[in-house]
Amino acid sequence: MRRLIALAALLVAAAALFVAGRALGAEPLTLTIAGSRYTATVVIDPPRTGAVVVETRVTSGDADGLAFSAVMPDMGHAMPELSAAEREPGRFVAEGELFTMSGVWDVSIRLTGPAGEETLTAKALISG
Amino acid sequence: MIRAFLLAAVLVVVFAAPAAAHNVTAGADLRIAQTIAGAEVTLVIKGTSRVPGPLRIGVVAYERADGLPVSLEVRSLTGGHTVTGTARAAAEPAYTELRVEETGPHQLTLRAGSEVAVVPFRVLVERGSAGDFLVYGGLFAAGLLLVGGLLTGATSRRGPAMLLSAGAAAGVTVAAMVVVFEPMLPPGPPDGAAPTATAQPAGGRPFAQARMETAPARPAPGQEFTLRVDLTDGSTGRPVDDLVSHHEALAHVVVTSEDGRYFRHVHPLRTAPGRLEVRLRADRPGRYLAYAELEREDSGGQLLTGGFAVEGEPAVAAVEETVAPTLRPAPTLRPAAPVAGRPATIELPAEGRVRPWLGMAGHLIVRNQDGSFLGHVHEMGTAGDRLRFTFSFPRPGRYLAWAQHATDGRIVTMPFTVDVTGPGSASAG
Repeated sequence: MRRLIALAALLVAAAALFVAGRALGAEPLTLTIAGSRYTATVVIDPPRTGAVVVETRVTSGDADGLAFSAVMPDMGHAMPELSAAEREPGRFVAEGELFTMSGVWDVSIRLTGPAGEETLTAKALISG
Repeated sequence: MIRAFLLAAVLVVVFAAPAAAHNVTAGADLRIAQTIAGAEVTLVIKGTSRVPGPLRIGVVAYERADGLPVSLEVRSLTGGHTVTGTARAAAEPAYTELRVEETGPHQLTLRAGSEVAVVPFRVLVERGSAGDFLVYGGLFAAGLLLVGGLLTGATSRRGPAMLLSAGAAAGVTVAAMVVVFEPMLPPGPPDGAAPTATAQPAGGRPFAQARMETAPARPAPGQEFTLRVDLTDGSTGRPVDDLVSHHEALAHVVVTSEDGRYFRHVHPLRTAPGRLEVRLRADRPGRYLAYAELEREDSGGQLLTGGFAVEGEPAVAAVEETVAPTLRPAPTLRPAAPVAGRPATIELPAEGRVRPWLGMAGHLIVRNQDGSFLGHVHEMGTAGDRLRFTFSFPRPGRYLAWAQHATDGRIVTMPFTVDVTGPGSASAG
């Protein structure tokens, strides 16, 4: 009987920790965008206001330059473009401030390369 | 006897069909009117209930469109998966099935004649709700525990049997509570939906500005030209690429000559982010006024205006103008002399069987003489073959009006004028 109660308590505690952990931890946000010239997977860590690290892997297309910008359509906010450094072929990293308030932002990735320029856009939910 | 009762209870619980278990629904259809290859059609994308799964696309013909082949290409904007097919426009179209692999943002590229349109959309699939999980989970746990209780009771271990039976009762209670309260809870977002903030900012999105120009810049009478509408967000300067289907179109563009003899109500194609284009032809030189009625996501409708000039000698072969009003019976006005600022009702007979178009039985476009005012009024659901519109003309003066409805194979446009008096000078009855 005591074992059963202890087991139930353990299960409840584990479930509570899982729920709380999900709510508190801001996991990196991953966006994959397939354009006509390039396909890119973007990881925003953390998806919060303030300084962020944005890492992009260009999985299709030969890109040699990449810059991020963001607008918040609901509010009409626009942020300056953030240039990314190519750490290794196809892997670009940018650091800086992209989001000034919580909400849904349109993240634009402007890619350049021999195939030409293309801007890929995706929506990102940013927390405060 | 008790064992038999418990066994019966187990069977009832295990085989009972849980309520509220059929929550899987297809996403809503998307309908977008397009003026393409000289034809007026409405593109219909029917929702799918699963991915991978079939996406059904049809092209409804309204004018000069019957049998028009339209090539379709659907591409996922996350996975890049692309499928192609062909649809043929018809009043009752056969739907082309294209297989989509995932939910989320996609784009449909339409090709007809030499024109291309790119329509962005999202494939949404309803998720199974947490309520379903609790109902099934509760009943499953109750079933298991009841079997356990039955077996434990059969071996005369009263304590554990009671415990298991209590667990079964709890499971049934959870399931029952969820069945009762789940309809009151807000449903979760469907799979593939765009992220939404918990607190939506009030007030809608910033205004859009339109730059309207033609290609070529100075079209000649009778020459086909492209009217291009470039939309820019007034706050960010970015292209406006968040138009929603507003009365079944990304934008309703009305083009009239200054004198009102030329009238077109068309639905431009999205050719690039923030860019709408439609091909037109006008046979007389002069100034033309263009209006674009559209709606941004999370915002209300808005009207953007522009104009262009057609220069040169009038074309020999006259471009189809709207039919002269003298060929039709005059519309009935109530009051007979409409008064500015008060509702006036305009009623006129339809030509042929009325087919719903742009979500309504009929449309009335009104413009004042200098073109500084444009109204778009919807038919009020009159039974039979008559169209009835009610509108408060804002100021006294003469208004140019065009009533429109769809019928078999064409869109009927009925032009007329309305003279509106001032409140002080009215002898309306």
